[in-house]
Amino acid sequence: MNQSLRILIILLPIFILVFFTKILLVDEDLKLSSFEAKNFPAFELDDLNGRRVQSESLNGIKLLNVWASWCITCLVEHPFLTKLSKNNVEIIGLNYKDSKSKANSWLEKHGNPYLFSIYDPRGDLAFDLGVTGAPETYLLIDSKVVGHIQGEMNQQKWETIFMPLIQQAAQRK
Amino acid sequence: MKKQLFVAFFLVLSSAAFTQIVYEFENSVQEKRFYLLISEIRCPKCTSGSIASSDAPISRDLKNKVYELILDGSTDKEIKQYVSERFGAFSDYRPSLSGSNYILWFGPFIFLALILAIFFIRRRV
Repeated sequence: MNQSLRILIILLPIFILVFFTKILLVDEDLKLSSFEAKNFPAFELDDLNGRRVQSESLNGIKLLNVWASWCITCLVEHPFLTKLSKNNVEIIGLNYKDSKSKANSWLEKHGNPYLFSIYDPRGDLAFDLGVTGAPETYLLIDSKVVGHIQGEMNQQKWETIFMPLIQQAAQRK
Repeated sequence: MKKQLFVAFFLVLSSAAFTQIVYEFENSVQEKRFYLLISEIRCPKCTSGSIASSDAPISRDLKNKVYELILDGSTDKEIKQYVSERFGAFSDYRPSLSGSNYILWFGPFIFLALILAIFFIRRRV
């Protein structure tokens, strides 16, 4: 057996091991997603107070948080969303497959971090957005959907996924 | 009488098993397309599995949508396009032959060819 083949036999498994360890250890949730920016889907829905939602209200830099009163993880991320809204981050709620009365009493009980909540009882707008469940959070910049987080929103995800996108947008302006 | 009551009891209970939505089609072609499509669309909420194999709420919504679109006369391509516009290219279990997907389809063969080439060149030397 010649020398180079022997080296190859030793190096190849090491290379494969390192390669797969690297891939497997990446935290999927925190990976900068390959999310492709898209226009916000057209919709005709009211908010939880029965007022028709105008598409202009999605302009600027806003978060769209998908939530429901039946959703347990929504309660987990609720304090963080409240903190964001206190720091002047504008958050719009998308109330997903819920009932209006339950949703409103949930907000009364736990506090309302949202500018308003779009009421989507059948999940039509959510489907067009590609929502797979609650909670999920989208980053909207001037009515374009530019970022997406599935599951609980927290400080780490906010800093690693949404902040860079917001900074990019600010630089372009 | 007792026996009949016994049978009736289980018949009533078994109705719980039939609460799932039954999809009715205009013809068998539509039906075949439906079952093929739902086996080729990935459940976005699952680690790995088609919407056919999943009963997650989002999979149910997706199946209903595929059903609706088939009855509306959309083609398979249009339906997959519709789903991937919303849930990403990730949703298609049979990646299309385009763009970066070429690596996915031909990468292993190129790799194999390379290894074989190296092997034969080495032997000749």
